[in-house]
Amino acid sequence: MENWWVPISAAVAMIVCALATAWAQSRIGAAGAAALAEKPELANTVIILVAIPETMTILGFVVAMLLILGTG
Amino acid sequence: MIVPMAKVRILGPRAQLSVTLRVIQDFGLVQVAEAPPVPGLTPLELDQRDRRRRRHLQRLVEDASTSLEALSIRPAIAPAGAGPDPEVAQLARWARLARQVRRETTRLAAQELALAEERALIQRYRTLLDVLAPDLRELAQSPHVVTHAAVIPASERPTVEALVRSLEGQGGQGVLVRAHTLENRDLVLLIVIPSSISATMERVLAEARVPEVSLPAQFRAASLTQAVPLMLERLARIPEEQDSVRRERQALGREHGRELLRALAAAHDLLSQLDAFEHCAATAHAFALEGWTPKANTRHLVSTLKRDAGAQIAVEEVAEEDWIGEQVPVVLSNPRFFRPFEGLVRLMPLPRYGTIDPTPFVAVFFPVLFGLMLADIGYGLVLGALGLLVHRRTKPGSAGRTIAEMIGPCAVMSILSGVLFGELFGDLGRRAFGLHPILFDRQEAVVASLLLAIGLGFVHITLGLILGVVSAWRREPRHAIGRGVATVMVLLIVLALLAAVDVLPASLLSPSVVALLIAFPILIAMEGVAGAVEFLSTLGNMLSYARVMALGLASVMLAVVANRMSGITGSAVVGVLLALLFHLVNFGIGVFGPGIHALRLHYVEFFGKFYSPGGAPYQPFAHWRAPSVARSR
Repeated sequence: MENWWVPISAAVAMIVCALATAWAQSRIGAAGAAALAEKPELANTVIILVAIPETMTILGFVVAMLLILGTG
Repeated sequence: MIVPMAKVRILGPRAQLSVTLRVIQDFGLVQVAEAPPVPGLTPLELDQRDRRRRRHLQRLVEDASTSLEALSIRPAIAPAGAGPDPEVAQLARWARLARQVRRETTRLAAQELALAEERALIQRYRTLLDVLAPDLRELAQSPHVVTHAAVIPASERPTVEALVRSLEGQGGQGVLVRAHTLENRDLVLLIVIPSSISATMERVLAEARVPEVSLPAQFRAASLTQAVPLMLERLARIPEEQDSVRRERQALGREHGRELLRALAAAHDLLSQLDAFEHCAATAHAFALEGWTPKANTRHLVSTLKRDAGAQIAVEEVAEEDWIGEQVPVVLSNPRFFRPFEGLVRLMPLPRYGTIDPTPFVAVFFPVLFGLMLADIGYGLVLGALGLLVHRRTKPGSAGRTIAEMIGPCAVMSILSGVLFGELFGDLGRRAFGLHPILFDRQEAVVASLLLAIGLGFVHITLGLILGVVSAWRREPRHAIGRGVATVMVLLIVLALLAAVDVLPASLLSPSVVALLIAFPILIAMEGVAGAVEFLSTLGNMLSYARVMALGLASVMLAVVANRMSGITGSAVVGVLLALLFHLVNFGIGVFGPGIHALRLHYVEFFGKFYSPGGAPYQPFAHWRAPSVARSR
């Protein structure tokens, strides 16, 4: 169990990024819903905007994978 | 590509103006520009008569559009455009017809709404009516009784049951109580009281706060014995009346639909002519008008005007230097294979005239990115079949057809990527058919998958940077040089990294780093600090392509889990059904996720390097076409 910190670190990388994404998406989603109520034609733009913060989770996932793979 | 445009100036005798406008409208490819600011020319204004005419036409358009919408008539055919302008009497007839049909449709809509509300209201009493109807039919023969109905909520049953017993104790005086329990455990009480003691008993009921049923207003005047059959009868008759209203509306549509469409098209055309007139300028004897048309059509425009409007009409092309800073309308034109992807570009504001239309690049990279994420032969085949189905069931030019045409290349790329990674419904192909990856196994080779994704990002972003240099070179050469330096720096970083990990000769490392150190101050000098920040964000943009690997890995792992599902239950049938369900969910996620992320990679990462939004849409002065028809062209 000398490498116990590896899965913990990978999990922290994933959790922090996912929480940050969730927070950002909640704000964008709420604003997007308000915008859609007035301009339904913005639906496509709003979907894209909501998808933008997912980069954080994806990068967190990459870091987690590299941590796990890097230590075998 | 963005179609090259020409600005044309049309001059002629003032008496020929209306004929010229009519010919230009028939030609249908000139967007009329603002009145030319030439000394001696006065911008034309509508006189009082024409302003009144415009008001009447606008009212006709409003009445006809509202009527057609109420009649559920969608203009599916292009109304006959060219032809003589309608007579004043004809316009007046159309205006009267549109007004009359609008009044009729409004009346029918109100009638339909009232019937629907009445039906919904009586329907709320339906359970109660069904429970009470048999008892009330019996009581119809007893004229000297008064009936009351009450609905007691299940929670209040114990309190009310005491009252019921007390009322039943009055049996000697002829009081009759019948109780029915509803499905929700509420209690329906029918209390029958002889007329002679009704006043006393009603006071008792009121003091006990028995919640008596309140009938709809229109039946409240009748007694319960009379009202219940009336309500049931009304409920049976309302659907017939609703059908009758629908038939009346359909008949109205059949009788006047085509005429209203003609009226709408003619009114739109005349309104466009009045708008175009206001964009002209004139002297006492001559007029001048300017407009935009695709450059390839200029000669055709000249010959058409000479032939149809008269030899005195002169057309000249305004030199490009004179209009380069103006808001030029943008027309996108691409080969057939690329055209469906214009829809993705149009989700953003149009590119400015003189910049680059990204459609061909989107048409190539969108399917590649999508395919690398979904990368499964089985999912690709299902997607292709879905695309074919949508294609067969949609009309050319519709949104469905455009989506189907985009699905095709995406499905092909998914299948090709599936072959490269040896995936058919996850690992099913490997286990059942001995399929093997040609490139690498995405489940195992995560690092290779990541490098492939970031490598693709490098190619995509570098292409964006090069397009940015080309686009900026025409307008701001200094900015273009700055962008060029940033592009070179990106290439140097990749070169240095590859040399550092021994993919390229190690001797390239030092020269690359030295070149980077030289290029960095040049970038700052050309673009300022913002240039350095943008350069760093470009590196971040490349890392963003890691999502291609992440989503692909998630997709393949979910497919593998779906396959494992078939073995976890005791029954093979249940297991296969469970696996199919899981594959279906994975397919849904696998289509939506890569679609959104491939779009995002284009809009945020790729377009950010060169795209200049702000182009004005091309709106030629032409005969009116229904929006659906205009889209299909």
